[in-house]
Amino acid sequence: MKSSQWVWLPVAVISTSVHATTYFSVEQVQRALFPGATFSATSLPNAWRTSNGGYVIVDRVIGKHEYITLAVGINPNGTVKQIEIMQYQESYGYEVREASWRAQFVGKSASSPLQLNGDIINIGGATLSSRHVTEGVKRILQVYEQNLKGKR
Amino acid sequence: MRRARPLLGTYVEIDAAGLAGPALERAIEAAFGAVARVHRLMSFHDPESDLSRLNRRAVAEPVAVDRWTAKVLAKARTLFDETCGLFDCAVGAELMRCGRLPSHGLGNIASGTFAAVEFMSDDRIRFSAPIAIDLGGIAKGFAVDRAIAALRAHGVREALVNAGGDLRVMGKTAQTIHIRCPGLDGRAIQAGLLRNAAIATSEAAATVVKQRARSASSQCAHHAYSVVASTCLLADALTKVLVQTEDPSAGYFSKFGAIAFVTSADALEDRVA
Repeated sequence: MKSSQWVWLPVAVISTSVHATTYFSVEQVQRALFPGATFSATSLPNAWRTSNGGYVIVDRVIGKHEYITLAVGINPNGTVKQIEIMQYQESYGYEVREASWRAQFVGKSASSPLQLNGDIINIGGATLSSRHVTEGVKRILQVYEQNLKGKR
Repeated sequence: MRRARPLLGTYVEIDAAGLAGPALERAIEAAFGAVARVHRLMSFHDPESDLSRLNRRAVAEPVAVDRWTAKVLAKARTLFDETCGLFDCAVGAELMRCGRLPSHGLGNIASGTFAAVEFMSDDRIRFSAPIAIDLGGIAKGFAVDRAIAALRAHGVREALVNAGGDLRVMGKTAQTIHIRCPGLDGRAIQAGLLRNAAIATSEAAATVVKQRARSASSQCAHHAYSVVASTCLLADALTKVLVQTEDPSAGYFSKFGAIAFVTSADALEDRVA
């Protein structure tokens, strides 16, 4: 590995933004989960029936430090087709510490798409658990069983 | 195009660019497919995974595994040997004992080391002692590497794959990396720019230490232990060594062409004060 792969910067923390990323709108996630299908409303405001008998259900789960909006695609036979995260938002803000080195840093990486997307996207650190999403998917499947399964 | 899915017990985010929409979607789908394959093969929780089959049966007879599983085990063995046993995936017994892993169907497991893993052929593995291995310290990094390889195979040249904090970047553009540090209430420390390389981070609380390579200190709970390496597998695995040695200048890291560093909430407070 060449040392040029890792460029050291002098100091620390910085960003005003809450770390939030939107991956999909509802329409986009419907198309991603069931390409080519059409979607109709159901008795639930956050669930849609596809033209082939599947469902898309959108829900929000709250983790230890994060809010996540997710979409579950359910096959006509009731099995999970795919899970997509629509939005990820950390529940705390990142502290702002403007420092003189920051201007220098921005200049160095002005061509980076990162700068266009927002302040923080690439966060390392001890692994976040997605247990809450797993529980959220179970809840969504219960909603499906009780309210949508077998209905036309 | 950025997508995220819950896999490997965490959130896996893939950010890729440079192809037309449908081609990029196919590339990202293939990358998630690679991560899902690693998840299926190497999950401790899934009784049908290669890993669970090994833990149940490899002490009695050689068990055939997928070539990806065999590759990760071979890398784990190299790391075990080259770090004098500090990197040791044979921590199943310890993790089950403290309740961090389920003990489904594993009755007769004893503490042991990775030295008990014997490679009978390219893909047949036997255990010479009733150990249980957990690949939580290496499989996530491997999955990130496979995702990057899948993107590259589909013609993507600029991408980032982040498996809940273990991440790898591909392409000419240097990416800014922030480290989430325990004790900072979620504030992130900007660590630097990363280009065509991987970084992984562990905290002491998330790592099982079998050998007391260091004295227990309350301070280490506020530290984040990071390793930058050419592959995410190496970065992921070597963070477990760093947590134990707490010495970024230890020879283990340079041996693998890696750079280790420790981020401390206290140091940050000092610097910005």
